[in-house]
Amino acid sequence: MKRQRLAAAAFAAMLALAACGRDSGGEDTDTTAPVSEGKATGDITVWAMGTEGEKLAAFAQDFMTENPDAKVNVTAVPWDAAHQKIASAIAAKQTPDVSMVGTTWMGEFAATGALDPTPASVVDKAAFFSGAWDTTVVNGTSYGVPWYVETRLLYYRKDLAAKAGVTAPASWDEMTSFATAMRDKGGAKWGLNLQPGGTGSWQSFLPFAWSNGATLASGKDFTLDSPQMTEALAYYQSFFTNKLSPPTDLSLQGALEQSFINGTLAAFISGPWHVGLLNQQGGAGFKDKFAVAPMPRKQSATSFVGGSDLAVFKDAKNRDGAWKFVSWLSRPDVQVKWYKAVGDLPAVQRGWEDQSLSGDPILATFGEQLKDAKSPPAIPTWEQVAAVIDGEIEKVAKSGADPATATKAMQDRASGIGTGS
Amino acid sequence: MRRALAGWAFATPFTVLFLVFMAVPVVASLVMSVTDLRSTDLRTPFAVEFVGLSNYTRMVDDAQFRRAALNTAVFVVVGVPLTMVVGLAAASALNSGLVKLRALFRVGFYLPVVTSIVALAVIWRFLLDPEAGLVNSALRLVGVEGPNWLGDSRLALPSIIAMAVWRNFGFLMVIFLAGLQAIPADLYESSRLDGAGRWAQFRYITVPMLRPTLLFGGVVTSIGYLQLFEEPLVMTRGGPLDSTLSVSYHIYNQFGFGNYGYAAAVSYVLFAVIVGLAALQFRLLGSRD
Repeated sequence: MKRQRLAAAAFAAMLALAACGRDSGGEDTDTTAPVSEGKATGDITVWAMGTEGEKLAAFAQDFMTENPDAKVNVTAVPWDAAHQKIASAIAAKQTPDVSMVGTTWMGEFAATGALDPTPASVVDKAAFFSGAWDTTVVNGTSYGVPWYVETRLLYYRKDLAAKAGVTAPASWDEMTSFATAMRDKGGAKWGLNLQPGGTGSWQSFLPFAWSNGATLASGKDFTLDSPQMTEALAYYQSFFTNKLSPPTDLSLQGALEQSFINGTLAAFISGPWHVGLLNQQGGAGFKDKFAVAPMPRKQSATSFVGGSDLAVFKDAKNRDGAWKFVSWLSRPDVQVKWYKAVGDLPAVQRGWEDQSLSGDPILATFGEQLKDAKSPPAIPTWEQVAAVIDGEIEKVAKSGADPATATKAMQDRASGIGTGS
Repeated sequence: MRRALAGWAFATPFTVLFLVFMAVPVVASLVMSVTDLRSTDLRTPFAVEFVGLSNYTRMVDDAQFRRAALNTAVFVVVGVPLTMVVGLAAASALNSGLVKLRALFRVGFYLPVVTSIVALAVIWRFLLDPEAGLVNSALRLVGVEGPNWLGDSRLALPSIIAMAVWRNFGFLMVIFLAGLQAIPADLYESSRLDGAGRWAQFRYITVPMLRPTLLFGGVVTSIGYLQLFEEPLVMTRGGPLDSTLSVSYHIYNQFGFGNYGYAAAVSYVLFAVIVGLAALQFRLLGSRD
């Protein structure tokens, strides 16, 4: 800790003394050095967040059994501190060999030049879900490997749907009538929960935009004010104006699960973690009362893909060992074992052939949806642009702002922020 | 000579720590505020450019900064006097002898001050919940359907002000109580002989005698309110529609986005405002003798 602070202070002092001038330009051209053959050796330091950080050390025992000369040291990092810790490590050139990196941070960290480009010999790009692989690609170069994935589906109450006489919606039109029937005939107060703005609501909205054929950026320009985007936002808004979706964020109050379990909320869109939460909170028998369905279709039925990537740093002390560890974690059999240990869904498509995943109807639906799922562009400024989108969604959902004005504002403010490249 | 050396020897550890952990970061962040340093420059700090005052002028065009500045101003202008008045009223009541169980009230009112603000904010979020919250449940008992306190962009900031006043007045109450008890009782006695009523006593004895205490309270409370951060972070995340976004929260966001140069510039503006306001208060309320 002390060393880090000293390093930060030294960095600040350096900055204070530097007569700043941008003459050096991009210091290194990203060429991929090959990774040595054979077993991994030496110490490999790994940073991981949340549950992954807690469980990875024990899991890595198998790797050490296969590579007796290698030793994996895992540091668990709290999610809240992770971004800052990685940024400080990059500034001080005191990075670990490998770190778990949130998918939306890839653009920012890759742009610092601190990440090692993925060597082609280490993993096969085609083995991964393409939406997940895209999160590692910055300006045409891949800087890491997807570790695990999640995507969003429609959760709905089967018993209320039966009462309302509807089945899972397959299209946008059906989604509206589905939510209306759930409310008017099914007895729910809210037909469908959509996030009415606030942090992270872009994840809830973008699937609708993508399904309608909208894109976020093309090259260095944003394309947020397209007619497709506006139409998707208007559709999103209709759930609030028709009082099908609650105007406040149920999840912020921690009320989403309870509302769904007690039947005031008939449906919501979320990721795989909710299966466990609902079974746990709903008590015995609740698992027969709900089901999941793919996103409703417009031009496509695209969902959002999230999860985490693994990246190796240029300042790694044991680069080859690091890539060998990443490569091992990407093996289909290891991915399945990791799923069984932690519950993280495999980013490698072949992992889904395992009976433990394909045999479960809910998980199989997630697996199917992953084939049609996208991620936002891996640009350094994404978090900032996302906050702009969140703010405009909030205006549309809460104060009835005009969707066309909102997408125009998204485009103007995002252009002001830039793509950072 | 030897004594001087000993002095230096004792002062060195502090001086080194002060320079390394206080002076250098402060100067560095000031320098940072006139550069375009971003998180993507972390590995190549020498490539960072000097951009003059453009980070400062950028604030003028930043609608979110303007909104944050306005919210913070409202928070200070409404919150500080309210906290002072409530604190003084509570202190006077406890001092007057009208209140029984004085110690109990003193502890009760002071408790929020020493409790973690995050815990309090979480609890207030539950209290103000539109469906299940205690506040609206109580209103429902008397047949009123309460509003969505934190979800309505017109009510969110007032709700946070109410919570902040509730949390902070206990601190002022304790300070004011000490000040009140330091006022000599014979002043009141002699004024009573001259026929002064309660209000006259308060106006001509209590307030002037309390002036230094009031000044201290005002400055400390203003600084605290200018740095409003945890309440919106926990209760509203700056929403809805930026209605509870404060300047500190804006700084936090900008650092999070990796706009280090701009965030440092906003920090310095906030710093300047705090210094300016404190100076103004000293001038207006400072000793006049």
